[in-house]
Formats: sequence, C-alpha cells, structure tokens
Amino acid sequence: MRPYFEKMPEFGKALKKGQLKRTEANLEAVRAEEANIEAEVEKVKNAGFPTEKINARGQMTVWQRLEYLVDEGTWCPLHTLYNPADNVEGTTNVIDGIGRISGRWAVIIGFDNKVMAGAWLAGQSENILRVTDLAKRLNVPLIWLVNCSGAKLPEQEKFYANRRGAGTPFFRHAELEQLGIPVLAGIYGTNPAGGGYQSISPTVLFAHKNCNIAVGGAGIVSGMAPKGHFDLEMAEAIIDKAKHFKSVPPGRVEIHHDHTGFFRYVFEEEQGVLDGLKDYMTKLPAYDPEFFQVAEPKPPKFPTEEIARLLPMEQKTVYDFNEILARLADGSEQMEFRPDYGPEVYTGLIKVNGFLVACIANRQGYLGKEYPEYADYPGFGGKLYRQGMIKMNEFITLCGRDRLPVIWFQDTTGIDVGDDAEKAELLGLGMSQIYSIQQTDVPMMLVVLRKGSAAAHYVLGGPTANRHNAFTLGTVASEIYVMHGETAAVATYSRRLVKEQAAGNPLEPVIDKMNTLAQEYHDKSRPLFCAKTGLVDEIVPMGAIRKYMEAFTASAYQNPKSICPHHQMILPRIIKG
Amino acid sequence: MAEDIIAPLAGKIVKMYLEVGATVEEDDDALVIEAMKMETPIYVPCDGTVKEIKVKEGDNVEEDDVLAIIG
Repeated sequence: MRPYFEKMPEFGKALKKGQLKRTEANLEAVRAEEANIEAEVEKVKNAGFPTEKINARGQMTVWQRLEYLVDEGTWCPLHTLYNPADNVEGTTNVIDGIGRISGRWAVIIGFDNKVMAGAWLAGQSENILRVTDLAKRLNVPLIWLVNCSGAKLPEQEKFYANRRGAGTPFFRHAELEQLGIPVLAGIYGTNPAGGGYQSISPTVLFAHKNCNIAVGGAGIVSGMAPKGHFDLEMAEAIIDKAKHFKSVPPGRVEIHHDHTGFFRYVFEEEQGVLDGLKDYMTKLPAYDPEFFQVAEPKPPKFPTEEIARLLPMEQKTVYDFNEILARLADGSEQMEFRPDYGPEVYTGLIKVNGFLVACIANRQGYLGKEYPEYADYPGFGGKLYRQGMIKMNEFITLCGRDRLPVIWFQDTTGIDVGDDAEKAELLGLGMSQIYSIQQTDVPMMLVVLRKGSAAAHYVLGGPTANRHNAFTLGTVASEIYVMHGETAAVATYSRRLVKEQAAGNPLEPVIDKMNTLAQEYHDKSRPLFCAKTGLVDEIVPMGAIRKYMEAFTASAYQNPKSICPHHQMILPRIIKG
Repeated sequence: MAEDIIAPLAGKIVKMYLEVGATVEEDDDALVIEAMKMETPIYVPCDGTVKEIKVKEGDNVEEDDVLAIIG
C-alpha cells in the first residue's frame, strides 16, 4: 500500500504577509488567554505544601516523580483543572495524563502528596474513573504513583460511598486486569484504609522502603473500641497509642514484603521505585511502531503554532479548517473522502508520525446557494445537513472496518432545524451517527476548536460517546452549551413575553431575566468552566494539539485489540476510486 | 489592471476597512459580510490602490455584487 500512503496529496498554504498582519491581534488574544489558563495550572501545581518542605522530608513531590518517570517531552497532562466539587484545595488531588515510559506509552496518575499527604477528596473518584476508562480505551498500561493518606474525613459524605465513589476505582483496576491491561503501582508514604486499597488493587507493587499500606492506619487503630464518649483517661490512652503507631505504623515493608509478600520489589531510594517502574515497562506488550506505520514520520509543512493565527477567537468569524489541519498532519498531506459531497464536514485520512488516522471536522463558512439541497435557505458550515451526516455515517463505519483511530474536530452550532430539516431525516441521521460510532471499536479523540453545541456535540464524537472517546481537548476559544445563551433566553421567555404584553404588564423584568440567563450561559461555557467541570479533559495551547494527537495515535497503535492489514483496507481504495 | 472585490455571499456589510485612494496589499482586510449570524471576512485580492468603493457599512448585498475595485 506504499503508493497510497508514502506521499499523499499535499494541502494548505503558507501564510502571506497580509495574513500575518491581519492575524496579529488574534494571536495576541490567544496568547493572553493561554497565559490565563497557564496561571490556573500553576495554582494547581502549587497547591498544598511548598516543594521545599516535601523535599526537606526526603520526599519528592508527585510532579518531581512524574518528571523523573516520564520520557522527556512526552507528558500530555489531562484533567489538570478538573475540580467538579469545587474543593477549596483547588484540585481533586490526583495528577494524570498520557506519557511515554522507557519508550512505551502509558496512562499515568499520582496522588499530590503536597496536599493533605494525598488524601481522597470530592471529585477524585470521577477523575480516576476517567483515567481507568482511558487506559481501557487505549489498551495501554495504567501506572500509579500511590501516596494516599486516606479520606479527608470531615468531607467523607461527598465521596466515600455511591455508585461512582471512592471504592469504584478498585473495581476498575480489577476490570483492567481482566482485560489484560496491567496496572503498576509505585508506592510511597503512608497509605491507610482507602490508601491501602489504592496500593493493593494494582497488578505489581513497587514499594519505597518507608512506605506502609494497611486496612487501617495509625489514626484508626488508635481510635478503635469507642465507648460512646470521650474523657480525660481516654484522651491519654489515645495519645499513647498515637505516639506508638506514629513510630510503628501498621503495614510497613517488613510486613508486606518480608511477611505477606504483597510488595514484589522494595527500593531504598525514591528514584529507585521509579527506575523499577521504568524497567518493568520494557517487559510489557507493545508493537514496534514500524508494525503499523504506513510511512516515515514527518512534521507538518507549516508550523502548528500558526493555528493560533488561523482559529479566530471571535466566534462569529469564519475560517478555513483545511488550513488548520495542514498544520497538524504529517507533511501537510491528506486523502479526503467524498470531497464533492456534504461540504459542511471534512472527512479524510491523515498521517500522524507515520500512523494512519481518520479525521472528521466541521467546515466553516458559506456553502453556496444550492446547499442544502432540501431547503430554500443557504447552508453555513458549523451546521450539519443531510449530506454531511450521511457522509460521516459512511466514513465512521469504514473507519471501524479498517480499524482506524479517529480524531474529531468540533466547531458546531448544531444540526439544521425546521420542517425541511425534519423531512430530510436529520433527527434519524443524528441517531444513525451515534449508532455508527457505537458499532465501531476504535479509539477516538476530540478537539473542541470553538463551539460544541446542541446534539451535534454528541454525534461528532463528543465525550458522551464514552466507550469510544478517549479524551476531549478544549482550546481557549472553546465554548460548550446546549444552545447559544441568547437562543436559550428566547426559548425560555418568549411565551412569558407574550403573556406579559397581553396582560398589559411592563416587559422590562422579563427582559432583565433574559439578559441574566444569556450571561449565565456565557459564564458557564468558558474554557475554564469546561475544564473544571470536566466538559473537556484539558484546555491545551493551540500549539500543543499535535503533541496530543501524537500521544493518542501512538498509544492507540501500541497494542491494539484488533488489526486490519494495510493491504486489506477498503477506505483508501474507495477514496482513490 | 483593475480587479473587482466580489461578494461571495448575500448578507450585510458590517465592517468596511477600505478607503478610496488608499494603497493596499494582497490579503489585507477589505470588509466583513454578516449572514446567518456568522461574519465572513473578505480580503483584498491583489496589491494596488482602492479605486472605487460601491457599498458602505449597513448595506445589504447579494451574492456576486461588486463591492469595490482595486487598481
């Protein structure tokens, strides 16, 4: 299949002098917003004790552990700003992402030992479940850096129990192991109760000499046998026990290495644990990239950073998606599927570091007088019409057949509406597209370039496709909502306006409510809100989108559950005709 | 050699960057047409001077209307 893939048709144009001049303001706006996001990330990184204090205890922070563990330049953080319960700590207290360790891709997660010694907090199990889902979807190892002091006891009701509570990740670890996906754990510090299960639930345990894991820690053991009240005699007994267990906590290395053998390895130094993990990663299943690559990797012809010039921050401004894709695809090459049909969406094949990847995206701008063919109004990119949805259904189905990972790019105002659209079966085609996605078994990722809106956010590979969507990225231009705030205000209050007018009442109070609702929609669709609530898994700089595409693609091809030989693929042949 | 700036779609002129007599370069902003709640920027097609402007902000235009002439 070399003739198909070695040199695919080039596309995209270098920026001209006028474009550079014209896009300077947009570039500055993007940079300013990205700096704001980076400042929020820094707050998370600086949560809890200062690094110096942790280091003075002879410990590394989770950030230092990650830096030592992960191959340089490969770390792609996820969920950094995720804090759905609005914890005062500003974090769910786990740090995670995708990275390469000893040349193999893994999903990596660790407790932030600077914050309450890595305690369980509200929202944390939801974060962890996203991570276990990610390892499952990509079929790559899950690596834990455990350092978990147990539950933040005053807030236990927020996270301890429930269907997706703090115990659910242990079941997910078991599920990953059932699926043949290894979970490795480097274990540090004191890990009682929930921390004990965080430590015992992985597949292979790598322990630091000073760590301990236990059903109950010093605090619990000290407080056993309650009498129903506290008095001075009891307080003194608690003090004695607490002193004892502080110096001799339950579940030390001599118990769980020498006696039970739960710890397979024990290391003297903090880095030793990480070296152990690095060494073990070389023993895990992974195809050499050459097995799946269809061509030599090469960078795009145009700088990825130029996306910050090409993607307008102004939501109403149209742009050319092809020019953005040309800054993400190997060699700025692609094979477009059915370019003469469904012009509002791009469907095609690109290469990412030599791996073949499918790409689906909204196109923007005017689509011509004759489109959509079923209506007497003009079509505009961002909307989905009959042809585009038929094309996507076809393409997705073929991607599933050819075992191609899919990268989606969303900038959508929704599916076309009205009786003409209903007659054109758009409701049914939307559901068909959901079915088409569901019947594939390939990993997908999504970049919400600007708008994610209405049901189009679902059918365009959004996070609700959570058996397929590995992760979703946002940019500083992203906004996600069921509909535009002004549209929502009209939908909510139009009948009220009619009633008030008929009753001869002033309209201003209703107008005020409409403006308030529109403003709330705006506030609750911003990138920071999307990241905090998990509508996206990370807000990334526009210049970093390709890096995440590389991580996703290489992970998807590292140990896929199913293979289509290149010479048996049908999609490239359909494109060629 | 004069070159016309043609409206690629019907809509309303919401921004006009051109001034008669001004020197312009290819890809400079010319004007913006709003239609279907979206703003479509129109760019100068070639280096030259703005010879004539046939529309102003607020005007509604039809597809293929001549908006300005660059000479």
